[in-house]
Amino acid sequence: MKGMPIVLQSDVGDIVRSKGFLIIVIIIGVLIIGAAVGITIALNRWLAPGLAWEDAKPMLELFMGLTANYMPLIVLFTYMATWATDPIAKEKAKGPIESLLATPLTAKAVWIGKSLAIFLPAYIMGLIATVIVVLVMNFASILPATGHFVFPLPEALTSFLLLPVLMFALISLGVLFSLITNPVIGQTIVIFIGVILLQVIGQFGGRITWLLASWDYALYILAGAALLGIIAFYLSRSLSKERIILSSLGWWVSLRCTHPTIFGSALDIPATTYDCSKNCRSKWNYRRNIHLSILVPPIHSERIR
Amino acid sequence: MSEAIRLEGVSKQLGGRKVLKGVSFAVKQGDIFGYLGPNGAGKTTTIRILLGLLKPTSGKATILGEDVSKDEARRKVGFVLESDGLYDNKTAEENLGYYARIYGVTEPAGRIDRILDLVGLEDRAKDKIGTYSKGMRQRLALARAMVHDPELLILDDPSAGVDPSGQIEVRQVILNMAHKEEKTIFLSSHNLDEVQRICNRIALIDRGEIKLYGELEQLRRERSINEVEIETTEAIAEPLFTELKSLSHLGLRERKDKSLTFVLQEGTRVPDIVSLLVRRGVEIEGVSRKEASLEEVYAAMLKEAEPL
Repeated sequence: MKGMPIVLQSDVGDIVRSKGFLIIVIIIGVLIIGAAVGITIALNRWLAPGLAWEDAKPMLELFMGLTANYMPLIVLFTYMATWATDPIAKEKAKGPIESLLATPLTAKAVWIGKSLAIFLPAYIMGLIATVIVVLVMNFASILPATGHFVFPLPEALTSFLLLPVLMFALISLGVLFSLITNPVIGQTIVIFIGVILLQVIGQFGGRITWLLASWDYALYILAGAALLGIIAFYLSRSLSKERIILSSLGWWVSLRCTHPTIFGSALDIPATTYDCSKNCRSKWNYRRNIHLSILVPPIHSERIR
Repeated sequence: MSEAIRLEGVSKQLGGRKVLKGVSFAVKQGDIFGYLGPNGAGKTTTIRILLGLLKPTSGKATILGEDVSKDEARRKVGFVLESDGLYDNKTAEENLGYYARIYGVTEPAGRIDRILDLVGLEDRAKDKIGTYSKGMRQRLALARAMVHDPELLILDDPSAGVDPSGQIEVRQVILNMAHKEEKTIFLSSHNLDEVQRICNRIALIDRGEIKLYGELEQLRRERSINEVEIETTEAIAEPLFTELKSLSHLGLRERKDKSLTFVLQEGTRVPDIVSLLVRRGVEIEGVSRKEASLEEVYAAMLKEAEPL
């Protein structure tokens, strides 16, 4: 991973100075103002004078849980849906990625450096947005009405640490696919999994009322992050400079298993090599090869004419 | 003299196609080595293998004694690839600074100033690359290749797409690097004139195979068409011309105003022709041997390589 911080520093600078980033900051700024004003108005209507703290506490904690969880999620997702793999796509199209890989940097250092560079500005924006909305909710409504500051520890941990870890795992997976295949595939994966995450978290918020302010929820998020992280780590074994170069040249990518793996055994895939170099399209249609394309590193890419 | 680059039987298969077929050559330290070939011959694939971007299917490639797959090998190499790989939204200083940090250059600011001065871009150091002309971009790419003071420079067609004045600038920068900075240069190029002007050794690759390899001057001599032009003080009279023409072993080809052109036959030496003319009372102004240009060598090699 030597050299990763250099890639991170350079890429963060590039992203932050770009016009696209400025547009996202404006959109998120509008979102923060809208959320802060809307939630404050809603709370002021609900928090009737004389409402007992014991009666108000569970609902306020739920409200805070929803806000504190959705704010970073929406900010991160808005950013990722528009931006996650854009820098990789540009570098692949214009050539800097090839020059970067011709240096002593490893492919993994480039991957992690670029993933962090895409993630960190979004994380900081999400953090700032959440802190602003939480402070506005408390100081404009909750504190004057109840005399209490509402923001339980599980929510703080989930919002500021675990959700971002989950999102970083998702971004790193998207960047990995962008590097070794096509940035469009990486972006699609980020959006697809991101939508599923929003849906799942939305279901938790709606059906299990008190879950958001609980340690259980924090653990669920952590488990999701761990799962995505394990998938990204496992697939990263197929990351190589050759694979990035060939994919950036727009070559057809075929994948082949070069030795048996646990997935190979589980799927009853023979240990022999599937060589797609000849008559690739028909081999692609071969059912097992389609499984191989996703599951079995180390994989090897080749151009098929 | 030790070797900067050595390729031994390097092959590369991509898909069903063999892009390189047992390529072998060596580049000595201090060489300006020209690597020639038509489009799709395998030049860029060779360079990608040398830079560790692609792995050879078989064979061995080393740079300054290190296997090309090792990071240590890449630390000793500077490069300019087909695409300059510069960041448009960064200034020249920032582009060079980025690579200086990657290579762990100590005192990067001083080094960057010196390199920008070498390529003549010191006054544009703080401008964004997006405002640069193609020639300036290529010069900056050359500067980036030099930022960590490598022993070897691998350049993939650095003057491609550059206008003639830009080509001269790029060529001058390459010569400065070779002579002032004492770097070994591996230059892949389509520009035969450029290669002929600056390279001392060449390899010609076609369809993944090395067709020609060696000292440029020697190759030109070997491939020359053995023409000798003898200039005289006065025009050759018709009787003498007819006599010389009848001596078939001389290989007289043509007579111009004050010159005769001979195509040397086997066993005939230039001094023999000169002494014969002197005996016939001809005053000789000069003798010049016509050597094949690199373009002629290149064209002849490609013609030989064409499938029947």
